[in-house]
Amino acid sequence: MPRKRRRVVFTVLFRGGTFAALALVLAPAAWLLASVIAKAVPHWRWNVLWTALTPTGGGLLGPILGTLILMAGVLVVAGTVGVLAGLHLAEMATPRRSGADGGTVLRMASDVLSGFPSIVLGYVGYVALVVGLHWNYSLLPAVLILSLMVVPYIAKSTETALRQVPTAYREGAEALGMATGYSLRKVVLRTASPGIVTGLLIALAIAGGETAPLLFTAEFSRTVWTGAFVHAHGFGYLTYVVYTFWDTPSKSANYLSYDAALILIVMVLVLLVVARLIVARSQRYSEGRTR
Amino acid sequence: MATEPPVAGAASGAAPGLSGGKHVATGTPSPAAGIPRVDPVLDALDPDRGRPANVVETHGLTLRFLDKTILSSIDMGFERGTITALIGPTGSGKSTFLRTLNRMNDKVTGFRYEGSVTLEGRSIWAPGTDLLELRRRVGMLFQRPNPFPMSIRDNVVAGVRAHRIAKGRQLDVVAEQRLREVGLWDAVQDRLNDSPFRLSGGQQQLLCLARALAVGPDVLLLDEPTSSLDPISTEYVEALLAQLAPALTLIVVTHNLAQARRVSHRTMFFYDGRLVEHGPTDQVFEHPRDPQTERYVTGRIG
Repeated sequence: MPRKRRRVVFTVLFRGGTFAALALVLAPAAWLLASVIAKAVPHWRWNVLWTALTPTGGGLLGPILGTLILMAGVLVVAGTVGVLAGLHLAEMATPRRSGADGGTVLRMASDVLSGFPSIVLGYVGYVALVVGLHWNYSLLPAVLILSLMVVPYIAKSTETALRQVPTAYREGAEALGMATGYSLRKVVLRTASPGIVTGLLIALAIAGGETAPLLFTAEFSRTVWTGAFVHAHGFGYLTYVVYTFWDTPSKSANYLSYDAALILIVMVLVLLVVARLIVARSQRYSEGRTR
Repeated sequence: MATEPPVAGAASGAAPGLSGGKHVATGTPSPAAGIPRVDPVLDALDPDRGRPANVVETHGLTLRFLDKTILSSIDMGFERGTITALIGPTGSGKSTFLRTLNRMNDKVTGFRYEGSVTLEGRSIWAPGTDLLELRRRVGMLFQRPNPFPMSIRDNVVAGVRAHRIAKGRQLDVVAEQRLREVGLWDAVQDRLNDSPFRLSGGQQQLLCLARALAVGPDVLLLDEPTSSLDPISTEYVEALLAQLAPALTLIVVTHNLAQARRVSHRTMFFYDGRLVEHGPTDQVFEHPRDPQTERYVTGRIG
């Protein structure tokens, strides 16, 4: 085959391959979205958003609030721990004498933690917190276990974002006589913030969409959150509704299952849009942008 | 007993008059007995009077990374208000030497030094030395422009803020003054809040120079400051350096021999970890003492 023809054939095949891969990613996402919308919208009632659950139906006020509170709790607990851990790995860990990066043990521990199946973490939470500390099924054990699950993720994305900050910025700050902490706050973190924020929001989306560890730590409850962190009798959240209500005998409960799925998807979309906006705003002065 | 005037500090020579020029200082003329008020007058005429003629000195400076010796026994003085060019092939140690002067090498793994570097007679490694203040006094400009990802105005005053030299509305004044000083004001005055990365490479480098000047350094270290710039920008930066020189002491690493010749008063030639030769630029280029220097400046090695 002449060289030119071979090149053309290769190009066509390669393009086709990349396009097929893209379609494989997009198609299921589009299909899921479409089917959830198709099942939820025809019987949609806005009062689902502000009425409480009843044994046969009602609304989703409790689970919606529950999921939002869980996310807020995860943002506080996992956000703090994860960002600080990432900061340590990227900036503080003392390099080894060979010149290799420090923090090897911590990084490896974090990787191992992220490899744990979430249901195992849930069981750990059940044994240690729900039963061991007599906290019962409630908010705090759920938040702690979800946080444990996403901390490695946040730490990793924070570390990666910090490592991508050009050395030239750090050197420039150093040569101006900025203290390490000062240049970290004013120059380095500012540069890394899009990556850190994106990591945080995706971690939140993961936490909001999780079910297995919550079955062990929050169980479920129809009542709207009363303000108790521990010693409650279960805790409502959206994924449980999605997971259990769809095949109950009650028709209205089946509808709620699809409503909950739709609300979850909208929440995740809002998170992604917020992430985009924050990234765009903090990158006004970044090197890649010239407009 | 009272007839003997007190002897001025022996080392505290400064060139008489205003110029910090190329003259080698010989010592302060003793104030005549009975006219004690002459000192403040002379101080006002020349604020550098009574300070050491050499702002920066190195004594037997040897630099190592792990077991590898980068530079050995460098003895050198950098006279106030002069421009010194550091030339030599890649890997000859000149950049390492430069980065040692504001202690940028300290945190590099395996960095060790022997000998000393003094700034105004005081070792830069002396216990109790404020590293941040040292770097304020010994500024640095890098090979590639490295503005921070913040607005043009914030870039200029970044160091001023960090050292709390000025605040609030004063920062605007500082920003304007320094941008004027580097000749960038007219180009950027309407877009002080824009991203610095919209500027051309030459303008970015000038912005970095304004940022370095804003904290009021005594010494400015320049690591190939024009090697990523076009010829027009290069010429402009060189002219600017010549203007800055009387007030500042400049030490410039350059691979551009013509540039060394154009801008510097003194030249140091490094080769293979040794300071082969140093002296007035004209002499190093016209009548080098060492055959290696001659071969380098005439383009036969390097």
